[in-house]
Amino acid sequence: MRVIDRYAFGNALRQIDPAQKGGLALLAIILCLALDRPAVGILALIWMLALTTWWAGVPIRVFSRVLLMEGLFLGLSVVGIALSIGGETPATTVFAWRIGALWLSVAPESLTLATHVLTRSLGCVAALNFLILTTPLIDLIDLMRRIRLPEGLIDVMALTYRAIFVLLDSLERMATAQNARLGYATARTAMRSAALLASQLFLDAYRRSQRAQIALESRGFDGALRVLPLTYRRSPRVWQASVALTASLMLAGMVG
Amino acid sequence: MSVVLEFDNLHYTFPGSDTPALCGASLRIEGGRRIALLGRNGAGKSTLFLHGNGILRPVAGQVRLNGMPLEYTRRGLLRVRRQVGLVFQNPDDQLFSASVLQDISFGPLNLGLSHDEVRRRVAEAADLCGVSDLLDRPTHALSGGQKTRVALAGVLAMEPDILLVDEATSGLDPWMRQQVFSIFDRLVERGATVALATHDLDAAQHWADTVVIMSEGRVIIAAPSAQIFGDPELRALAGPVGGR
Repeated sequence: MRVIDRYAFGNALRQIDPAQKGGLALLAIILCLALDRPAVGILALIWMLALTTWWAGVPIRVFSRVLLMEGLFLGLSVVGIALSIGGETPATTVFAWRIGALWLSVAPESLTLATHVLTRSLGCVAALNFLILTTPLIDLIDLMRRIRLPEGLIDVMALTYRAIFVLLDSLERMATAQNARLGYATARTAMRSAALLASQLFLDAYRRSQRAQIALESRGFDGALRVLPLTYRRSPRVWQASVALTASLMLAGMVG
Repeated sequence: MSVVLEFDNLHYTFPGSDTPALCGASLRIEGGRRIALLGRNGAGKSTLFLHGNGILRPVAGQVRLNGMPLEYTRRGLLRVRRQVGLVFQNPDDQLFSASVLQDISFGPLNLGLSHDEVRRRVAEAADLCGVSDLLDRPTHALSGGQKTRVALAGVLAMEPDILLVDEATSGLDPWMRQQVFSIFDRLVERGATVALATHDLDAAQHWADTVVIMSEGRVIIAAPSAQIFGDPELRALAGPVGGR
């Protein structure tokens, strides 16, 4: 998470309006879903990889690591679509395996379906990766404020995002203190230390929330977290990229 | 100089506590002063400050701002908090936004100012605190000293006349500490009043012009810094001689 956050804040597209970047990602997702061709998903994946690495300057290693983790989940889930288990001998199969009285088989149509689902999802998650690796959450929250999502929801998101880092710091401090006193020396003490840590962290969060409330009230808090909107740069190149992306995905959808 | 903030015989006990945090604390703060508030842990320094901008309401006694008793209504409290800024010990408690710019803009926006005016104030406060180049950085990427100065800028953007600082200089390195004190000095030059609750006797002796000592929920003495540090008996109240 810290890695993603670091690149989101430090990439070459940081200053570009999140509405533009979000729009581009959304466009790719819509096209992947609407056209539903394996070639479109793959092409969208390549597009997003290229934009994130070449344009935004995020190392390919970071993009691929994030994608690999998502890919593993997706891969495991489509296995369930491709495989079928039945008591009868399957009719047409790409592959069949008999285990006792049961048949484990892959039918051509389910294989096609699995490929479609996998490529479509890969294209979509690649588009989301592009967005999260080039746009920090504060910009996304700012975007949500601009499109007038409910304020309560946005405030909770903003506070949660900030609190994650504050709690991570507390967690690290407490774990170090426990470690210094051999809190994780054996499996038994490690269990006990982890339990203590969890309860202490909860108490810490509770006390912090009370102090944060006082600090907010001191600055005139009256129920709404009003902040200045952030300013961004609009880039014509994003529009050009959007047009090129749409054209190429449409073409792939017709051909593939 | 006229008295700007006055604590008159305050009594306060925290809910669920047996011992009172304040029992008859009185203090008159004159405008344009540099005040060091000393006292051992638990003497009531933070509690006194929390009464200063109406976060806590005394069980008995009165807080007066420019001679007028505080009004504990929504409008009254907003007025007090515009004039009395409170900076806390741990900047992580105060910084609620992951965006430095947005965090600093929070206070002035609550005063109902226009976006242009808020932008001007954010820029000015950031400049005063030396954090202009941090405005588009994420809060969680800042160092401790940077967080302290951003937290300070968030309060200064409201342009308070009186600044109550609760131990915000503890834990800073000597360079950062000096920078924070020079920010206080510039505020005082502009006519503001700065009161600092601290254990830093060096600051009390050399930075402050007035020293206030609290003990067991009361103000036991408020006098010019030179007077306290010139008199061995009074000096002993501030802390162990030769202590550091």
